[in-house]
Amino acid sequence: MAEMDPRALRSRVENISTIPTIPSVLKQLSTIIENPKISLNEISYFVSQDPALTTKILQMVNSALYGFPGRISSVNHAVMLLGLNVVKGLLLSVSVFEIMHKAMIGLREHSIGVAIASKVLGRMKGLKEPEEVFVAGLLHDVGKVILTLVWPEEYDRTVKEAEAAGIAIFDAERGRFSETHAAVAGWLAEKWHFPRKLCECIANHHRPQGSSLASLETAIVHTADVIVKARGIGYSGDRLVPEVNPGAWDTLGLSEADLREILKELEDSVEQTEEEFRS
Amino acid sequence: MPKIPVEQLRPGMKLARPLENTSGMVLMAAGTELTEARISKIENMGVDSVYIDGPSRPARPKEELLAALEERFRKVGGNPRMALLKKAVQEHIEAMYG
Repeated sequence: MAEMDPRALRSRVENISTIPTIPSVLKQLSTIIENPKISLNEISYFVSQDPALTTKILQMVNSALYGFPGRISSVNHAVMLLGLNVVKGLLLSVSVFEIMHKAMIGLREHSIGVAIASKVLGRMKGLKEPEEVFVAGLLHDVGKVILTLVWPEEYDRTVKEAEAAGIAIFDAERGRFSETHAAVAGWLAEKWHFPRKLCECIANHHRPQGSSLASLETAIVHTADVIVKARGIGYSGDRLVPEVNPGAWDTLGLSEADLREILKELEDSVEQTEEEFRS
Repeated sequence: MPKIPVEQLRPGMKLARPLENTSGMVLMAAGTELTEARISKIENMGVDSVYIDGPSRPARPKEELLAALEERFRKVGGNPRMALLKKAVQEHIEAMYG
């Protein structure tokens, strides 16, 4: 494949519902969420039609709220506590998880890990809604899934190429697709009408200096990604830990004690979330 | 927190998560200390395993985990920020083996 025109790539990604390999639940959900006037009732109705989806979304909700007293047992209650955007994000990530697991073994574990580490970092840095960075963490690598579904052979070659050349998957993607999974995920986040901050943080998680509106949130997701790779949770296409962006790292100013706390929480809740997800 | 099979439960262990029946009703709260009587109650519920307080022991030997850590940091170990992160992960792994 010759280098791809970024505009063609973007339009292909933005029309994922026309791609035959995209599962129908994601297509339906994507169509609903593209509507900027989507209401709580419509989301609840859609979810209630599918008992398996209901169970999974509530597991995710309870994981996002890990430590919240009592379990959340209805989607309406979840929206009240978490807000529509967070619930939309959880819903999308849950419907992507199954494909994610097939597209790249270990990517689901990696994504859950980054979500949890982002939330812990968000809490440490005093974010008002740490659940938002949890969602950004869950969806930060969704671009890899989309690239795999649309161009399975090319993406597989990209992963092998990166490994053979000892370069980051991010750089190999740019060589082959002219854009990266981060940009792809950012386009989708915009198309799904996520708040600007969330879109920025997803689109810039590999170059946090590119974020203007959400520099703290982006630094959080970027650093969480590096921490999860350092701990070796899951697999995201790179076997080696990438160098953390110095600006992002220094913005967060984490002490050794902070790092220990993040790793500990990560260990406990990744284990639990994965377990629940498999059951 | 490790998930322990019912036959390995011993009095004195504490539940890390509430024990619920299939409709989500809490039968034993998180933090409940197990007694012989409670263990047989759990057995009678047909539950296979429960979450118990305390660190889980990883399935792989410590040396293997530490070697994999070295390998992952092969290219970035010289960077002071990354060295700090690596040290934290290393201590974290060592702590898991108590």
